[in-house]
Amino acid sequence: MAEGGGAPGAFRPDTYKDPELVAQLSGRIAEVAAEIGRPVKLMHICGTHEHEIGRYALRDLLPEGVTVLAGPGCPVCVCDNEYINLAIQLSLTPGVILCSFGDMLAVPGSIPLEGERRGDVRMSLLDARARGGDVRAVYSVFECKRIAEANPDKQVVFFSVGFETTVVAVAAMLKRGAPDNLTVIEANYYTPPATSLLPELDGFDIEGFMLPGHAVTITGLRVYEHLAERGIACASGGFEPVDVMASVVSLLEQIRDGEATIANPYNRLVKYDGNEKAKQELDEVFELAPIRWRGIAEIPASGYKLREAYAQHSAARRFAGTLDEVALRGAEHPKGCRCAEVTLGQIRPDECGVFGKLCTPDSPYGPCMVSHEGTCRAWYTYGMHKERLTVEAA
Amino acid sequence: MTSENASDVQNAERSAGAEARAASAERTRLVTRYDSVRLSHGSGGKLTLELIEELFVSVFANEPLRELTDAAIVANLGGRIAFATDSHTVKPAFFPGGDIGRLAVAGTINDLAVMGAKPAYMTAAFLLEEGYDMAELERVVRSMKATADEAGVAIVAGDTKVLERGHGDGVFINTTGIGFLPDDVRLGVGYVRPGDKVLVNGTLGDHGIAVMSRREGLDLAVELESDVAPLNGLIEQVMQVAPNVRFMRDVTRGGLAAVANEVVLRQAFGLRVFDVAVPIHDVVEQYSEMLGIDPLLAANEGKVMMIVPPDEAEAALGAMKAHPFGREAAIIGDIVRKPEGVALVETAYGTRRVLEMPIEEQLPRIC
Ligand code: SF4
Repeated sequence: MAEGGGAPGAFRPDTYKDPELVAQLSGRIAEVAAEIGRPVKLMHICGTHEHEIGRYALRDLLPEGVTVLAGPGCPVCVCDNEYINLAIQLSLTPGVILCSFGDMLAVPGSIPLEGERRGDVRMSLLDARARGGDVRAVYSVFECKRIAEANPDKQVVFFSVGFETTVVAVAAMLKRGAPDNLTVIEANYYTPPATSLLPELDGFDIEGFMLPGHAVTITGLRVYEHLAERGIACASGGFEPVDVMASVVSLLEQIRDGEATIANPYNRLVKYDGNEKAKQELDEVFELAPIRWRGIAEIPASGYKLREAYAQHSAARRFAGTLDEVALRGAEHPKGCRCAEVTLGQIRPDECGVFGKLCTPDSPYGPCMVSHEGTCRAWYTYGMHKERLTVEAA
Repeated sequence: MTSENASDVQNAERSAGAEARAASAERTRLVTRYDSVRLSHGSGGKLTLELIEELFVSVFANEPLRELTDAAIVANLGGRIAFATDSHTVKPAFFPGGDIGRLAVAGTINDLAVMGAKPAYMTAAFLLEEGYDMAELERVVRSMKATADEAGVAIVAGDTKVLERGHGDGVFINTTGIGFLPDDVRLGVGYVRPGDKVLVNGTLGDHGIAVMSRREGLDLAVELESDVAPLNGLIEQVMQVAPNVRFMRDVTRGGLAAVANEVVLRQAFGLRVFDVAVPIHDVVEQYSEMLGIDPLLAANEGKVMMIVPPDEAEAALGAMKAHPFGREAAIIGDIVRKPEGVALVETAYGTRRVLEMPIEEQLPRIC
C-alpha cells in the first residue's frame, strides 16, 4: 500500500516506531524465550502501556510462552469509592464547582443510582451533573485554578486523581499559591508500595516488571529496588513500540541469566534517581500516607496527602462534618464486577462474566471499563479479547 | 514534489483562502444601530426586519431572499432532489482555518454532495444569545456567504431567534439544503464489494486537533488549520473519472473510525485500513500523541471517505489530488471478505487491531 501514501505522516521512519527495529526485537524476544525454555509471565503497571500494546497489537509479536499482563496501572480504576462519593456529594452541594479529568466523570462510586433498571448501577459525577451538580471536565489543575479565580464567591474543588505525574502538577500549583476557595480531593496514588504487595498474593508467578515510563521519570528507578531484591526482573518501559519491545527483551535476558536487576532501556528520558527538583517540590507539599486501592486493600505509604502547611486546601478537611458520612462508604465494586482481579493481573478482562455484555465502553458497569487507562476498556476497544484477526482479502 | 511540499502548498492555499475570506469580511462593515444582539432582534418586529435587511439580505444577496416573502421560491431543479439539514455549535466559534459560519454551510453541502447530489439552495436559521456581538455575527454571516459562493450555492431563506442571556452559547446555526440528484447516481453500502479500495481526500484529524488546541484550558500554540471546506467540487471531479464510485460519506465527528464502522455494520464484508497509508499531518500526529487522542477518531470537516472499484481507484485518486481540497489524498485501505462486519487496522508491524466505533468525544487522557 506504500503507493497509497506520499502524504506527510504517511509512515515516517521514526526510530522508536521503526517496523524493522520492532521486527528485530521481536526476533530477539523469540530467541531469548527459547533459551529460557519455559513459559514466562511479565507485567506492566501502566494504563498507557496497555493502551499502546493494544493499539499496535504488540502481543501478536510475542512468542507463545511469553505473556505480558496488565497490572495496577490505571489511577481511575484504583481510585477508592470514598473519594468518588465525596466528589459526588460535594458536586451536589450548593455553591460548589467540582472539577476533574474527563475520564473520572463517568466512574461510578457506590451511591446507588435511583430509578436504574440495568442492575446494581451506581452514581457517577455525570449522573450528579444531570441532577444539577456543577461538574466540569478540565485538562489540568491550572485550568481549575483559573476557574477558582474567576469564581471567588464559589468553592472550587479539584478531584485530583492520578499517579506521580498528576501529583507533581498539583504540588507545583499549590506551591506557587492557590486561591483560598480552591481545595483538592487527595486521591493520589504512589505505585511502588503496591508492587510490593503483589508478590504476597497467592499464586503470584510474575517474573518481571516493566516499569511505567512516565512515573519513573519523576520517582526514578531506585524505588523499585525491593522487586529486584526479591529476584524479580525490572526494566523501564517507554511507550513507543520499540520501547515496549526493548523492555521485554531486557526482562527476558535478566530472567534467562537468573540475575534480577533494574535495567533502564528507556534511558533517553529516565534517570536512575528521577527528577530531583520535581521530587523535592512533591515532598514539600505532600507526604506519603496509607490509602485504599479500590477493591484491593489499604496499602501503607502509597497515597499522597497534603502536608499540614497546605491542609487548608484539603477538601476532606474543609467540608468535614457537612457531608453524609454513611454515603461516603459502601460496597467497593458493583455486584459481579471483577475489576480488582483484573487490576492485579489475576484474570483477563474477558473472564469477567459481564465483559462486553452488561459492561461496554458506552455503558460501563465497572471502573476498568470507563477510563482509557482501564484494562477492560483497552481490551474491548482494540478487540484484544477476540481471536487474532485473520483477513481474507478479495 | 515531495510530500512536505505538497503539504506546504495546500496550507498556503488554505490560508490564502482564509485571508481572502477575512478580507471580504473587512471590506464593508455594515452599520447596524446596535453593537450587540437584543431580544427584540428576534421579536419579529422592527429590529428583526432591520437585522434581516441590513445584515442577512445585504450579505447573502440573492433574488429569492430579497423578496422577503414567507417562503423562498426557487427554480425547478428537475428530477430527484436530495434534502439535508444540520445544526451547528462549535467552541470556540472562530478557530484556526474557519469559523461556525463556514462550518454550517460546508456541513450541509457535504451531506448533499456525498449522496451524489449537486447542492443548489440553502436556508439558514440562527439562534442568537442576547448580547451577542453584532460585529462577530457579521463576520459569521460573511463567512457563510463566502463559503456558499465557493460551492455555488445560494442562501435563500432564513430565520432568527434570540435567546435570553445565559440560555444560549453565543450563536447556534441550523442550515438546510437541497440539491439536484442526477438519475444515474447509484451510491450506497449495498454496492460495496470485496476488493474495492478505500480513499480519503487528505490528512485526518486536522479539525479536531485545531479546535481542541484553542479550547479553554489547553491553549496550545498549534500551527494547524481546520480542514473545513465544501467538498461538492472535489466530489464532482472524482465522479467524472470514477463513475462507479460505490459509496461516499463525509468524515466528521467520530473520525474515520465512525464512518468505517457505519459501512461494515451488519455487512458480509470487512473494511481494512493500512495504518502506514493514512495521511496524518505531522502536527496532528505529535499533538494527538501528547494528548492521548487517536487521529483516526478525531473530527474532520472537509474530508470524504470514498469506496471505489479497484479499476477506478487510481483515476479517483488522481482527480482528488488535482483538487485543492485533495492534494494529500490517499488510498488507505480496502474491502475484505473476512472478518465480516469488522473495521480493522493493519499496523506497520503486520499486526491487526479492531478499529472500534467511537463512543464519545475524544478527551485528552490523564496520566
Ligand atoms: S468487564 Fe466491567 S464489570 Fe467486568 S471487571 Fe471489567 S469493568 Fe468490571
